Amino acid sequence: MSVEFIHVFRKILDSQKYRFGFILLPLLMFLVYLSLGKYAISPSEIPSIFLEDTIEHTIIFNVRLPRAIEAMLFGACMGISGAALQTVLRNPLVSPYILGISSGAAFGAALSIALLGAGYIFLIQPSAILFALIAIAITMSLSKFRGQFLPTSLVLAGIVVSALFSGLLSLIQILVEPEKTQTIVAWIIGRLYTVTWRDVTTSAPLAIVGILGLLIFRWRIFALSMGDEEAKSLGINVGRERMLIILFASIATASVVSVTGIIGWVCLISPHITRFLVGSDPKVLLPASISVGASFMLAADLLSRTVWTFEIPVGIITTLIGAPMFLYLMRRAAHEWG
Amino acid sequence: MSGVKVRNLRFSYGERVVFENLSFEVEEGEILTVLGPNGSGKTTLIKCLNRLLRPTGTVFIDSFEVTRLNEKEFAKLVGYVPQAHSPAFPYRVVDVVLSGRTPHLGFSMPTKDDYELAYEVLDKLGLSNLANKPYTQLSGGELRLVLIARALIQQPRILLLDEPTSHLDLKNKIVVLKVLKEIAKDGIAVVMSEHDPNLASIFSDKVLLMCKGGIVGYGDVRDVLTAENLKRVYGVDVKIFENNGRRYVFPDIL
Repeated sequence: MSVEFIHVFRKILDSQKYRFGFILLPLLMFLVYLSLGKYAISPSEIPSIFLEDTIEHTIIFNVRLPRAIEAMLFGACMGISGAALQTVLRNPLVSPYILGISSGAAFGAALSIALLGAGYIFLIQPSAILFALIAIAITMSLSKFRGQFLPTSLVLAGIVVSALFSGLLSLIQILVEPEKTQTIVAWIIGRLYTVTWRDVTTSAPLAIVGILGLLIFRWRIFALSMGDEEAKSLGINVGRERMLIILFASIATASVVSVTGIIGWVCLISPHITRFLVGSDPKVLLPASISVGASFMLAADLLSRTVWTFEIPVGIITTLIGAPMFLYLMRRAAHEWG
Repeated sequence: MSGVKVRNLRFSYGERVVFENLSFEVEEGEILTVLGPNGSGKTTLIKCLNRLLRPTGTVFIDSFEVTRLNEKEFAKLVGYVPQAHSPAFPYRVVDVVLSGRTPHLGFSMPTKDDYELAYEVLDKLGLSNLANKPYTQLSGGELRLVLIARALIQQPRILLLDEPTSHLDLKNKIVVLKVLKEIAKDGIAVVMSEHDPNLASIFSDKVLLMCKGGIVGYGDVRDVLTAENLKRVYGVDVKIFENNGRRYVFPDIL
């Protein structure tokens, strides 16, 4: 695609009317998602199905709907958290996973399975959230040197914390009985086919808190990307507000990861797709990354349940699509910057 | 008074005192230029005035004692233009300028009025045609002006600039300094650091001459930029010429 094409494309998106696209896109994906699958249902039938007690009702209402909502929540949280963290830390390679959230959550889930067994499945999620937040807390405290916070050291601390929790996770897997190891592995691989209404209701409140927090802070997130001294000169309490923003992003991501397991690349790729579409417009980037993340996850999970005769865990799909796409977008961005 | 009043400012990095007993005043409409060799503490002074460093002593802006202000109140009084800026993302010029509204916006988004103000300031600095360009594609001189525009849109009472002419060619130096002269005329007190004594002489109302270990002179250009003072500070013999009441300094090396 030529540079001119992208500029024309962005001009179209710039006009208010087309901003609706960011609302319509996930809604459209949502309808397609509900109707397609092993048991296809026409979108026009969907409204009536909600009222009738039929097999279609069960499929839509008990299987596809909670799963679709969780997919959208996951994508929304990952999209906005990735965009916010990349902006605040002035680094397009940062994602919530790099700060240790994913390995913390995986360790938490494994610990719960190892100690309590599969009988206490309802404790896996709180344990995953808890350890995701513990991991972030360690990362943040390690990233302070002589009372000063450095964005680069945050990334380094995140890598150290991730390695630490991954090591502990491997240790657990070796120590426990084989059946538990299987449960642990099955949990870690990112998937949505296990999602129930209960998962949605436990992850949604925290996810929404995180998303709203980041949305409220979005102009200040932009100002923080000017660099510490300049942000301070713009009236921002740099240390405190950056911590809050990282905390909101952590809460949002931990809440969904604790339900779905580790689904990779969405948090990294969604902000980059969004920047490709709208540029770096500070007013639009965060809200649009919610929409892009949610749509991307719906598309990926739709593929995961339709592309093969059996379900492919969605984490595999997002990685297979995300990695090459990321490569393309990075090259594109490098070209545009040059 | 309106402007900046500094009384008995002192700052040290551990044992090393950068300056002490520093007092000066800049009224609104005036430009104070801080001159001195590399490492003499010009940037340190600017950062002290901007509260990025914590000196002892008192700084008043208009009648406010600055340590009593919170971040937001302070940012409404003081605009800052850094010596170097490294862009993290290719924001549009108008967005970068709008980030200067942050202390006035709080948690809301910029309104139509804010955009109008941004375009007004861009127009004033001759940057209107760049408004929608990514600011990563600007020349050094354009970027400096954009950063000045961002500070202006804060609508501050004083403007602090750390070497606003560094890395610029002769024409762009003059463009930037003329803009600063205009800004001062609009009733803002300007404090900047500079390396070229001649540009300082042409564009400033007062100078502050620093060297390692303290202040050599403060006041009117002709009182401070003397051959003895410059020899003491830079270790270079200079000849002073006068033309149209202005003072020009040339190194006496031939």
